[in-house]
Amino acid sequence: MRAVIATALALLCAPAMADGHLDLSVDLRLVGADGRSSWLDDGLGKLRFDENHDGLQVGRLRAAWNQTFGETLNLRIDASLWRLSDHNAFDLTEAYLEYRPYPKEGWRSRVRVGAFYAPISFEHRAAGWTNPYLISSSAINTWVGEELRTIGAEYSLEWLGTRLGRDFDLGLVAAIYGWNDPAGILVASRGWALHDRQTTLFGKVGEPGTGPVPGRVLFKEIDHRPGYYVGAHLRYLDRVELRYLRYDNRADPERFDPGINDFAWLTWFDSVGLRFETANGWTLIAQWLAGITEIEPDSGYEDWKYSSTFALVSKALGRHRISLRADWFDTDHFVTSWPPGLQETGSAWTAGYSFERNDHWSFAVEAMQIKSDVEQRASLGERPDATERQLQLQLRYTR
Amino acid sequence: MLALAAWAGGAGAAALVVKVAKPDGRPVAGAVVLLHGPPGSKSSAPATFIVDQVNQTFTPDLIVIPVGSTVTFPNSDSVSHQVYSFSPTKRFQLPLYRGTPYPPVTFANPGIVTLGCNIHDDMIAYLVVTDAEWFGRTAQDGSWTASNLPAGDFRIEVWHPRMRESTDVIERPLKLEAALSGRLDVQLTRSLRPEPLGVKPRSWSDY
Repeated sequence: MRAVIATALALLCAPAMADGHLDLSVDLRLVGADGRSSWLDDGLGKLRFDENHDGLQVGRLRAAWNQTFGETLNLRIDASLWRLSDHNAFDLTEAYLEYRPYPKEGWRSRVRVGAFYAPISFEHRAAGWTNPYLISSSAINTWVGEELRTIGAEYSLEWLGTRLGRDFDLGLVAAIYGWNDPAGILVASRGWALHDRQTTLFGKVGEPGTGPVPGRVLFKEIDHRPGYYVGAHLRYLDRVELRYLRYDNRADPERFDPGINDFAWLTWFDSVGLRFETANGWTLIAQWLAGITEIEPDSGYEDWKYSSTFALVSKALGRHRISLRADWFDTDHFVTSWPPGLQETGSAWTAGYSFERNDHWSFAVEAMQIKSDVEQRASLGERPDATERQLQLQLRYTR
Repeated sequence: MLALAAWAGGAGAAALVVKVAKPDGRPVAGAVVLLHGPPGSKSSAPATFIVDQVNQTFTPDLIVIPVGSTVTFPNSDSVSHQVYSFSPTKRFQLPLYRGTPYPPVTFANPGIVTLGCNIHDDMIAYLVVTDAEWFGRTAQDGSWTASNLPAGDFRIEVWHPRMRESTDVIERPLKLEAALSGRLDVQLTRSLRPEPLGVKPRSWSDY
């Protein structure tokens, strides 16, 4: 992965700069939260900002470089800072080269190589994998931002029916990747969460339930077995889009990496998403994701079944937008040894308002309540059930 | 569905009013009407046209041009565009650009050309290249009028980018008599596709 990024940076510094574009943004928050200790600080809270981390906070400092080479090659590098005390304070979230040849006879191919997001979220349609509907992502796509990154190559093929006088476009996508072997550990050890923080490629997150540790690495190749995903989409005009994705990191669950003190987590899931938009500014997004992650230590077999669903409705009124989302989630731990596995169930409501003053300034406010019952909280001496609330004001400047 | 009515018109020349309607009878504005004259009619003279790109939208998003015409595609946006067509009528590509770096493109064959931008998937526009002597688009009331027509056998084509008829173009023969005004009613059998949702915010770039 470092070699890919080094190559990308070398290309970036090449003298023949055809068409480069730098995006910078500063996102500051004023936060009030009463949540349990956050998972970033080794707790089992579900919020990004807990009651010890509210007030004025850095939301995200972002710098992105978009560089074209020749006609059809495009390099995208996205770096962000999410918290000043992070292991790598300013680090990459995505870095990839995209090949976009011209469509031929109604067929279009695209190839992406590097580190990037799989086409799974209908929420994240703004630059930097940002959610323009609400500040915080759904439980499903929060997890995607935390643990999943395609560090490899992806090919997509689309039939552009709407450009041939038809009502539909159809697409297929397939990718092969590495460095995703720890994927699954967060949803297993902490359960689901709802926030906007994306794990950076060389960053670390907290290690829930084990007390102060140096932090957990989430992008690592452990078993030298590549993972894959395959997906399809069907789009009706520009109104309705349906997406399916099957992800499988094909990790070897018996392999242990002493370097990061962790197993390779065999993780697979299916995801189905739907987005529906109307001419008068309404958007409806719904997504379902369910899968299993497992490890096989010497002590026995363990797996976690996890699933989540959300529905988001949003209404744009000129530069104003209001959105409301409901999330439901659960995990179910099975283990062959004693003590038996633990479970979590939960749901969340998120409501928000945003105002895009112009291309540079935007303001948003979001209120969220997450109710969850996490049996594992007993290990921290906490009650299993919690109602966590968070109010965020966001001011963002982009240039 | 087509219906032709004729009545006495001005001296000598014939005139034709074409009215295009939806299945429910409401007018279809912006439908392209191409009227091919009797043998010996000539095409309209080629001309030069401009299809600009403003705020990630082709402006205008549909033009009808005589065969042999040239079109310039300036980019007035601050972001680059990459214009292409894979329509058999005219395949071409204008690699990534801003401003007006390329010479005009010549459209030598009749047919429909669908334009896109390889960077911004929502951008779409149409060029209708025609060898018809008379052509135009229907007004808000769904009508298009041609006058000073010779008598004889005509062929009429009606097309709309959001049309869903069983054929790509509605095509009918038509006979006009001298000094008569004709009216042709074209009623679509299926509803039009809904209008595109419009320009997305600049920072959106679907993942």
